[in-house]
This record gives sequence, structure tokens and C-alpha cells, in this order.
Amino acid sequence: MDVNRLIGDSAKWIAPAVVLAALVVGATSGLGPSLLVLAGGVLTGVVLLFWSSIGRLTGESPLSLEEAIGLGAPSPEEERKRSILRALKDLEYERSVGKISEEDFAELSARYRADAKALLKLIETESAPTRKRAEERLAARLREESASSAPRKSKKPRARSAEPPVPPSSEPAPARDVAEAVPAVPSGDHSRTACPSCSTPNDADAAFCKRCGVALGKSAGVAS
Amino acid sequence: MALRGPDDAGCWAFSAERPPALPEASRAPNVGAKPMLNSLPGFGSGILYAVLVAAAYTFAVAVAAGRGQPRLLESARRGAFATAGLVALGVLVLAYAFVTHDFRIRYVTRYSDRSMPTGYLIASLWGGQDGSLLWWSFLLSCYTTACVFWLRGKYRQLQPYVIATLMVIMGFFAILMLFAANPFESNLAGAKIDGEGLNPLLQNYWMAIHPPSLYTGFVGCSVPFSFAIAALVTGRLDNEWIVAVRKWMLFAWLFLSIGNALGMAWAYEELGWGGYWAWDPVENAACLPWFTASAYVHSTMIQERRNMLKIWNVVLIAITFLLTIFGTFLTRAGLISSVHAFAQSDIGIFFLWFMGLVFAVTAGLVVWRLPQLKSRGQIEAVLSREAAFVVNNWLFVGIATFILVATIFPRISEWLWKETVTVGPPFFNRWMAPLGLGLLLLMGVGPLFGWRKTSGVSLKKAFAFPSAVALFVLVLHVAFGKRLGFPAFVAQDAFYPGIAGLALQKLGSLAPALTICLAAFNFAVVGQEFYRGVAARRQKHEGEGVLEALRVVVDKSRRRYGGYIVHIGVGLMFVGFCGRSWEIEHEASMSPGDQHEIGEYTITYRGPRMEVDPTKRMIFADVDVERNGKSEGRLSPARFIYTKAGQPTTEVSMMRGLRDDLYLVVGMIDPQTKRATLRFHVNPLVSWVWIGVLVLMSGASISLWPEVRLREVGVWGYLRATAGAATSIMLAIVFATAPARAASAVAGERAPVSPVAAAAPAMAALPPFTYGAAGAVATGILVATLRERLRRKRP
Repeated sequence: MDVNRLIGDSAKWIAPAVVLAALVVGATSGLGPSLLVLAGGVLTGVVLLFWSSIGRLTGESPLSLEEAIGLGAPSPEEERKRSILRALKDLEYERSVGKISEEDFAELSARYRADAKALLKLIETESAPTRKRAEERLAARLREESASSAPRKSKKPRARSAEPPVPPSSEPAPARDVAEAVPAVPSGDHSRTACPSCSTPNDADAAFCKRCGVALGKSAGVAS
Repeated sequence: MALRGPDDAGCWAFSAERPPALPEASRAPNVGAKPMLNSLPGFGSGILYAVLVAAAYTFAVAVAAGRGQPRLLESARRGAFATAGLVALGVLVLAYAFVTHDFRIRYVTRYSDRSMPTGYLIASLWGGQDGSLLWWSFLLSCYTTACVFWLRGKYRQLQPYVIATLMVIMGFFAILMLFAANPFESNLAGAKIDGEGLNPLLQNYWMAIHPPSLYTGFVGCSVPFSFAIAALVTGRLDNEWIVAVRKWMLFAWLFLSIGNALGMAWAYEELGWGGYWAWDPVENAACLPWFTASAYVHSTMIQERRNMLKIWNVVLIAITFLLTIFGTFLTRAGLISSVHAFAQSDIGIFFLWFMGLVFAVTAGLVVWRLPQLKSRGQIEAVLSREAAFVVNNWLFVGIATFILVATIFPRISEWLWKETVTVGPPFFNRWMAPLGLGLLLLMGVGPLFGWRKTSGVSLKKAFAFPSAVALFVLVLHVAFGKRLGFPAFVAQDAFYPGIAGLALQKLGSLAPALTICLAAFNFAVVGQEFYRGVAARRQKHEGEGVLEALRVVVDKSRRRYGGYIVHIGVGLMFVGFCGRSWEIEHEASMSPGDQHEIGEYTITYRGPRMEVDPTKRMIFADVDVERNGKSEGRLSPARFIYTKAGQPTTEVSMMRGLRDDLYLVVGMIDPQTKRATLRFHVNPLVSWVWIGVLVLMSGASISLWPEVRLREVGVWGYLRATAGAATSIMLAIVFATAPARAASAVAGERAPVSPVAAAAPAMAALPPFTYGAAGAVATGILVATLRERLRRKRP
């Protein structure tokens, strides 16, 4: 029996149970005993938290899937990429309300986009070996499971804890359809390319549609 | 009413004298020592020791996690939760001691007695210095819990040092309580039969609500400071920590604003001198971090967009935190004589050491990381957003420096010239006028400049409408102001000799016109920004209605538009401040039947009236008020003489309006002749200060709202995020107002209608609504979380 897991599971119910007990005691015996019950509950919680903390300190507790994923902290490059994307969004707004001239907008936008592309390439390059290792381990694990249990078609690993949120991927979503080169939409705006799947206008240098993720024809080769 | 500083127990008191000591025979005999560890005082002190040990443990583990052992981070997180839990335990134990009248504890004896109802007993937890330090620690533990919980999975490189810094601050307060102001300290003479009771003058809505609100703001600055230290230590000085800190700093700033506004409301409602800001040293210390925090919330935008002003941002956060510590130091150390000061105690030396440590560590880190902090960009034009924000930073910091130096000037003059020179309200009011006008101007022009540079065409386009509105309002004011009772120019007396004095005098005379003109400019700028945003949106989405476009535009840029609404609030407050230029003050001695005229009012004194309740004798002076010949009702300023307290208190009576307030205070009443000395104030436009505060709060709340997209996170995620934000704000208000509601709800004594409640009646219904809403929201979150977990578990 995993004691730490038992503590973790029961900890979720301690707080509501203590509050309920305090309310009942308060209604029957007064505020003083109610405060004692609350204090007792808090003390129990403190003890459990220290137990758990020391357990992790000494390495007795196994790492949960969520914790393992969380250890992969976003790199400085990923943070910089996010801030550039935020800046681009603000720039679009400033342009739409006329606070920035077209000339300045074009210059700043080009600079931000170049930085963002360089960062995306760098992030992809840096994470490639880790991704490859993860894929190899997953494949080995799947082979083990299919060898040890009845044949199962499931492609997903057994979930031990709540499915972790998918970490933001630096790689754009994979193409669902391979599209042929699509000419620019003849709207007078020469910087836009229409998506063949959902017709969303995309920037001329976009490799994938920003809405549905479909690869945009002539640029798909550059992105992969 | 004279306000006096503290007694030797550090009571924050209006009354000069302590209640008389209990006679010897009534003291319980010292029945002999119980082992200390078995008694509540000992247990309480043990909890404080445990807090110190837990904080030290968590600090060590967190630093280890940051230095290459990321697995230890989970350990540090749990340690932080446990440390916060220990502080909460301390509060519960002290509350238990109050409720059960455990007079073995000196603090309980000093601030409660057996006759006090439960509500007052709870309010007494924060009545004295020791308890207020425990309250500070409790708020810090709440912030720590919220921050560490919010950080799960995020900012893993910064997290260890954020936790470590928070633990250092927690440890400091534990040390303070253990060695300088222990709320669990035993009575040396043993348990008494009864306590001394809370000073009835403290049993007052404003006295209870203002400090917790301000503390919520003060303590909130610890979280951004922790992030700044973490960024400096790890060297991750790009926008990562800035984005993380954004909402925390805004939250703290919001409560600094509320706390200071409540302090103003308290001074106006209760002190009876007719104003709301006396430039008292502790008032000044409370507003200092507000100025530097305001500078930061603007300056951070430059770093996010242009990667500039990194040193400014780090320094502003550190200064803001230092000023919060300085503010609480000033109220406790007796450095400067103030009506607020807790005590002339030796607690000051602890604060000095801590401030010195914080300063040294921060300065050392900044110097170490200077190469990374240097800007890669540069300011390309004077007429640019970047330049305006730099000027903004200098102005805010300049104002804060001016107020700080003037506040501690008695000590500076004593050090330099061996004589104590104190500067009073006239000095501050004169010098703050030009500084305030500069701020109002910058607040208006800042949003009009573009990034990097503003072309001539853009400049004309941006300034045309607001300038036209401002000019129009100025002309109207000059032409019609005097007729309406608000003349544009008000002559001022010379304050200084020489050119500087003359310039100040001239500017002071022009200040009313300039303030109204610049306020109009600001309102026009904000209106223009909203218009442009909506117009741009409707151009791209034809067929979208104006209101829908407005909703979408605000929803997509909450920080921007929330900020604009805050600017409107500040503009309204400036309009309110400007009203002081036209205030009228009279004093008259009147017999029953006498009339007195002030401004548009005619006041007829009807006579005195006495009422008695168990705690006090109340003497009212009833007056009938007419305005321009029309009856407005009755006012009853009073003097309350409490049984337990020494000096009588003054109870203000006022008639509020959007145009002005009629504010009455009674001095002496002769019981034989029934002659009363009355002081009359007509305070124009004061209500706009409170309305401005409400608008400011709304704007800040909009900025704080989480930016989640329904499509991205799903219905339950969206509900959880918005419910989380709403709950946080409401629970913060509940915490801040809990002592006041406990006190006034039970007492049933005259609880003055708060100006905030007068301006927004919904606020008066806040307590039951808040509990109900918070409960509903919490239930909603629980249901949503359970549903999502069940959904994930389904194959």
C-alpha cells in the first residue's frame, strides 16, 4: 500500500470534513469548541503536509506523471517566443487604431516575426533529441505491454493519474491534408494567403493555417 | 478631539488614558505554575517557534531545489503550505483564547473583557500591535498559499526562489513576534478575573476596516518582490517574471488604493476636522508604496514591448516592498510622532535590520546582473510612449521621494541642525499642487503617443479632440465658474518669499482651472480610445453592434481598457481634490433659535438633546438646514462621552451631495444656557473622490479579470477561471472587512453610513451578498472540478 498516495487521496476530504465538523460543533457547543475543531483540522493538515514534504525530500515518494511533465520547464527561448507573440498582437491593435504608422508597423512586425521564426527553429532543434528519446521509450513500453498482456489495439498509455495537460508544443499541429500551392487571395492585400480548408486568411509566410492547422502548400516543405 | 499616540501596550488609541487598573482583590491568585507547554500561552508561542522552523526548513529545501535538484521543488511547495497552515493555526488559537476569555495571555487581557460580545472579541484580534503583526503574517500566509498553488507547473525555474524569498519574509515576522511583540505572552502576575476591554473608540467601522484593507495591499507587494528576487538570482530577466508578476502587483495596488481611500473616508467621517488627508506621517507612509507601485504597473509595459527599463522595473518593485516595510516600521517604532503610531517600542531595530538586509541583497543582485539588465533598445524620440513612461516613472518616484523626505524631515533636521523642524499640511498642499497637475497631464498625454515615435500627423489626429474638449471646458469654467460657485481662479496667500514662492502662489491660484481642464482632457482621451477601438473592430466586423463591439474590444484587451477606466477614476478623484479650493469654514457660538448662514445654507440651531446607552452618554446639537430657502432636513452633530474612555469624542454630522457636503461638528455645549459652539464646513465636490475610488476599483477589477478563451479551455475551464477571479476579489474584500462587520453588526451602535456605501448602495449590502456569492462560487468550482475529473477518468 502506498502510504503517500493514501495520504494524498484522503487529504482532499480532510478540509471539507473539518469545516463540516466545525459547523456542527459550533451549532451545538458554541464558537470556542468550533475553533478548536478547526485548529485540530489545520494541525492535522500541517502534519500531513510536512510528512509529504519530507517524503519527497528523502526520495521515498515516486514522481507523479504531472510532476515529471512539470519538470520540463519552458526554456528562456520559449518564454521569449511567447512575449514576442504578445507584442505582435499588441502591434496589430495599435495599427488598427492608428497609433502606429504603416511604415513603423511593417518594420517592427518584420523584426518581431524574424525573431519569432528564429526562436521557433531553435526550440525545435533543441527539443528534437528529447522528443526522439521520448518516442523511443514510448515505443519500447508499448512493445512490452503488448507482449505481456492480451493483444490490445489501444495506442494510449494507461493513465496513472489525471491526464496531464498537453504541454504547449513548439511544433505546429501536424498537417491533416496535404494541400497544393494556393495562390494569394486577390483582395489587394498581398500579404495574405487563404487556407484551402477553412479559407482563413493567413500571413504570406505562414507554413500552417492559424485556425485549422492545415499545411499551406508551398511553405509546407520549409516548415517540416 | 485630540488624538493621542499609543500607551505602553501599543494600543492604537484615540483616548489618552488607559482604563483604571483592577483593584488588587479582584485579581486571581497565582495558583502556581502549570508546565508552560501544557498551557495555551505556551502552545501559542510554540506555534510561533514552529513557524520560524518551518519557514527555515522550506527556505533551505527551496534553495536546494533551485540549485539543481528540481525534485525538491514539490517538497518545498508542501513546506510552504505547511508553514502557512501553522500561521493559520496561530490565529485560530488566539481567537480561541479571546472567545474563551483566557486571561492568562497578556494580549487577551489588554484588549478584551467578559462583557464584550463575540463580534468585538474577534475584532480585538487586530486591536493591538502584537495581534496586528500576527494578522500581517496571516495575510502573508494567504498570499503564499495562493501564489504557490497558482505556480504549480509554471515558472519552474523561478519557483524555488519565489518560495525561498516568501519564507524569509515569513521568518522575519515570526522573529518579530517571538522576540519583540508576542501575542501569546503570559501575564506576569497570572491570570486575571477580567480583562481591560477594547477601547470603545476602536469599536468603530472605520477603525476596523481601514487597517486590514491597507495590510492586504502592503502584504501583497511581497509576491512581486519575491518574483523579482527569483528573476535576479536565476538570471531569467526577460519578460517571464514580468508577465508572472503582472496580476499580483495589480491586485496589491488595488488594495493599496482601497486601503488609502478607506483611510481618507475614516478621517473624513470620524476625525471631525473637515478634511480627509492631513499629511500625517503614517498617512504618508501608507501612500508611498502606492506611488511606486503605480509607476511599476506602467513601466512594466515598456519591458514587455520593447525589452527596456528592466533596471527600473526591478528597482521599482524592490522599492515598493521596502516602502511597505518602512510604512509598518513607521507606525510602530515611534520614529516620527503621529496620531497613528503604535508605540515607542524597541521593535524598530528589527525593522531596520530587515530593511538593511533587503536593501543590501537587492542592490547586490542588481549590480551582479547589470549586464543582463541593460536595455537592448533605446528611446528614439521624445514624443514617444517610451519617453512618456520614463517621465512617468521619474514623476511618481519624485513624488514619493518628496513625501518621504518631508515626512522624516524632523529626524533629518535633528541630525543636521540639532533642531526638530516639522512640515505640516500647508507645505505639502502647496508643493503637491504642481506635482499633481503634472501627473494629471501625463496621464492624459501618455496614451496618445505611439511606440518609438509619434509622427506629426498622428500627433495632430490624437490630440485634436481631447485638446478641443479641454479648451472648451476651460472657457466655460472661466466664463461661468464664479456664477456657479466654482470660480476658475482662487487667490492664494504667499507661502515663501522669492521667485519660487511667487511661482507656487500663481500656480496655486490657477490650480482649480487647470485641474478641471486637465480632468476634462483625460476623460476625452479615454472616450477617444474607446471610440477608436470600437470603430476599428466594427470596420473588420461589419454588422456588429456598438455594444457588442465594445464588449469584445474590452474583453480582448482587458488590461488596456481596465487601465483607461482607472484613469477616469483618478480624474474624478482629482476633481474631488480640487473642491478644496472652494471650501468654506465657519465657527459660531449659537443659542437655541439662532441662525447662521454659510454658502447656500441657512442653519438654525434648535437646541441640545441627550441620550444614554450602556457604554456612553450622547449629547446631540440638533440643527435644521435650509438650502436656498428650501428645507433640507435635520443634522445632529454630537459629543459622545464613553464610560470607560477618558476624553469625549466628536461625532460628525453631514449632508452629502454631488455638488458639496455640509459638514457639522459641535464643540462645547453649555448645559445651563444651552449655548453650543458649532463648526461648519461646506466641502465642494468631495463625493467625487469616493465615486472616483469606486470607478478606479472597477477598472482595476477589469484589468485583473483572467484572459481565458471559452473555445480554448471549454465551458468548465472558463467558469472556473472567472469564478476564481471573482472569488479572489470577493474573499479579499471579506477578509478586509471582516473585523468591521463583526464589530458593527453585533454592537448595533451608530454605524455611520460610509461614503462608499452612499455612493454605491450595493456596497452596503456587501456582507450577506459576499458570503452567499462566495459560497455559490465555491460550490460551482467544486462541481466543475469534480465533473472534469470524472470526464478525464472515463475511457
